[in-house]
Amino acid sequence: MKKIVSLLLCLAMVLSVMSFAAAEAKEEMTLNVMLPDFYSDSDWVTLENGNPVLQAIYEATGVKLNITWVPNSGYGEMTSLTLADPTNMPEVMVIQGPRDAITISSARAGAFWDLTDLIPQYEYLAQGQESTYNNTAIDGRLYGIYRARAYARAGIYYRNDYAAQAGITSVPTNVAEFKDLCFALAGLDNMYCINMCKYVAGTIGYTTVMFGAPYQYGVNAEGKIYPAFEDEKFQEGLDFLRELYAAGGIDPNFMTIESGNWDDAERSNPPKALMRLDCLDNGYRYEEWLEANAGVDPANPVVTLLTALPNDEGKIQIWPQNTGASGEIVVTKAVSEEKLPAVLKFLNWCNSAEGQTLLNCGIQDVTYWIHSDGYRYTYPEGEQENSSKYDTYTKTVHHSLNQLGMNVNGDLTPPTAQTLLRKQYNQNLLDNAKYVISNPCLTFDSETNTLMGTTLATDVEDAQVQYIAGKIDLAGLKAAYEDWYSMGGDMIIEEFQAEYDAQK
Amino acid sequence: MSSKSAVKADSLSREKVGYWKKLGIDLAKNPWLYIMLIPGIIYFIVFKYLPMWGIIIGFENYSPFLGPFKSEWKGLYWFQRFFATRKWWDYTSNTLILSVMSIVFTFPAPIILALLLNEIRNIHYKKVTQTLLYVPHFISIVIVVSITYVIFGADGIIYKLTQSVFGTTIDYLGDPKVFRWMIVGQNIWKETGWGTIIFLAALTNVDTQLYEAAMIDGANRAQRLWHITLPAIRSTVVLMLVLRMGSVLDTGYEHLILMSNSLNRSVSQTLDVFVYQNGIVNGQYSYTTAVGLMKSLVSVIMVITSNKIAHALGEEGLY
Repeated sequence: MKKIVSLLLCLAMVLSVMSFAAAEAKEEMTLNVMLPDFYSDSDWVTLENGNPVLQAIYEATGVKLNITWVPNSGYGEMTSLTLADPTNMPEVMVIQGPRDAITISSARAGAFWDLTDLIPQYEYLAQGQESTYNNTAIDGRLYGIYRARAYARAGIYYRNDYAAQAGITSVPTNVAEFKDLCFALAGLDNMYCINMCKYVAGTIGYTTVMFGAPYQYGVNAEGKIYPAFEDEKFQEGLDFLRELYAAGGIDPNFMTIESGNWDDAERSNPPKALMRLDCLDNGYRYEEWLEANAGVDPANPVVTLLTALPNDEGKIQIWPQNTGASGEIVVTKAVSEEKLPAVLKFLNWCNSAEGQTLLNCGIQDVTYWIHSDGYRYTYPEGEQENSSKYDTYTKTVHHSLNQLGMNVNGDLTPPTAQTLLRKQYNQNLLDNAKYVISNPCLTFDSETNTLMGTTLATDVEDAQVQYIAGKIDLAGLKAAYEDWYSMGGDMIIEEFQAEYDAQK
Repeated sequence: MSSKSAVKADSLSREKVGYWKKLGIDLAKNPWLYIMLIPGIIYFIVFKYLPMWGIIIGFENYSPFLGPFKSEWKGLYWFQRFFATRKWWDYTSNTLILSVMSIVFTFPAPIILALLLNEIRNIHYKKVTQTLLYVPHFISIVIVVSITYVIFGADGIIYKLTQSVFGTTIDYLGDPKVFRWMIVGQNIWKETGWGTIIFLAALTNVDTQLYEAAMIDGANRAQRLWHITLPAIRSTVVLMLVLRMGSVLDTGYEHLILMSNSLNRSVSQTLDVFVYQNGIVNGQYSYTTAVGLMKSLVSVIMVITSNKIAHALGEEGLY
């Protein structure tokens, strides 16, 4: 008996020494991170306050995350302010616009570590798509690790119950039928058709591309680059939106609706807007919301997902909602050369199944639950009625930690249940991938575009919005296009053309 | 060396000695006054004069990672660039129109309100009114804009009211014609009450015997206001106006950014907004420093001119 006890004790000792050694192998370090925040009140998301997710990350990697949360709406401004003060940069930060002027100039000035040769050395990071990596490259060098997003998630979703009320029961199969549907929905009393907000680029982009226009820039038969707004199909799309606006199909006050309140018009009772041109995943989320809050029967979804419609010439084109990524994660020069491998090791770990699950879902039975059907839910089994209570808790604990997730090697988190619409969404993604077009000048480097591009694009977009809202006529719109050329647009085209020709 | 220049040098040095001597005597006489001056001087050097060197980046291609000394020197490049875009006049005229409107409409408002308050005889009623009038000043402009959105937006009371009364309605938040009036209106609502403080203080200095004398002479209320009260606060009004001229081009970018959208951007884009959007958001520090510097030059010219006008009117002005 004594022997057994002593043997067990020995074993325990060996084990504890081993576990101690294992813990020792993990280098302890504090990492200052700046992330966009989609919720308010992030005070609890610190290690000092005992946040369980951060604690779990620390236990798994030895990294103490010290996170600066920046409200998402002001993240772009905070990024440039942060980069204006090289002595006070966070060590790792999210860059939302990898090709923004401020990102490019900072990268050139040496604000970020060049990761081109380092990425292939890390197991998970190396599994990323080369083309997506290249979309974020500056002067052919990689300064960040992209945050993967479904490439072709743009689409249309609408309320089929109200469409039936307006006399349209069949799902549109081409652009002409889609237009009929829009005008029918616009005819319903006290309801708008397309739900639009301050962020108009999506609606205008999706519509014009669906009508057959190129995305941002096109290349004509002679190999000349031209801005998309010069395309007659683009004008067709704008004219359609203008007509729909005039027919009462768009809320006249859409320009005062912040993107954070975009859902409001759909989620009021009865809904104020019946259709949206946006990310399709918002479509199934809308349906799930209706099922939870408006008593909609999951067997008969009232939201229809619509995508890949052929235009009048039978051509199918999908607007690239993103470039396969939503920004990137950079390592700034606040990290010393000695510390860099450890930081990259951590970022690599973020892509492992363990890391992805912690960042995206949190901890099992605390912020997510696996039900008996084997799928992941945001509430414990049998607690569906109280799901909002768990949502609130999850938001407080987990917050926007998923913003640190890159998932370049694909989604390794526990799967969620496949509702009817989610299944269709996955199918749509596959279909869409065949038709998504891209901006031919995305990776081109034009000095004028870096300097003036954003300002010029805003001016043109403003004019397009005014045209849709009937505030200016075609002559006014053309005048704004002329301004675009004279204020630097001609230089942008020239510089893009030079690169395009050089590429051939 | 000629004797002439020697005399000149001698007189110069004597002048210099005279100045320092004078200062020395004064120092000995009032040492504490000069000691009390030191924090003020330090404040101006540290927070006003040293940062002024920052304008140097307006003449460079500034990069925060290279610093102001290593960045590439560009001379007047950014100024040329700004004037080469046809928009520069739009931004400048938007700034000027909004400034002139705010001077014309928001500047007299607190004076009128102060005069009205001054006529209230019930002291308790007056105190309560005054306190209530100060409240909007303490409300953040973000909240003011939110309230405006709620009231004037598509579901707002005013919007619905004009719609039901007149059949049609104005797009209060999008129409470029209405935009400036909305800004002026918000400023009047927010700052008028607070602005009365200085004028009410000036009004308390008016000798009440003058009113009594005027009453005996048969002057009515309006005549007393015109001939006694207004002349009494005239110098305060002029001083406030001259002070105001210095910041007349500061249109308050945060207010404008909150109120601007694609429909009204043609009038909401002022120099300040331009500087903010291109400098802070897009990180073009040099370009926007140059634009900001140009704006400051115009401001200086306006202060000097308005001061001259004040002198011409027989008032003291700023200096």
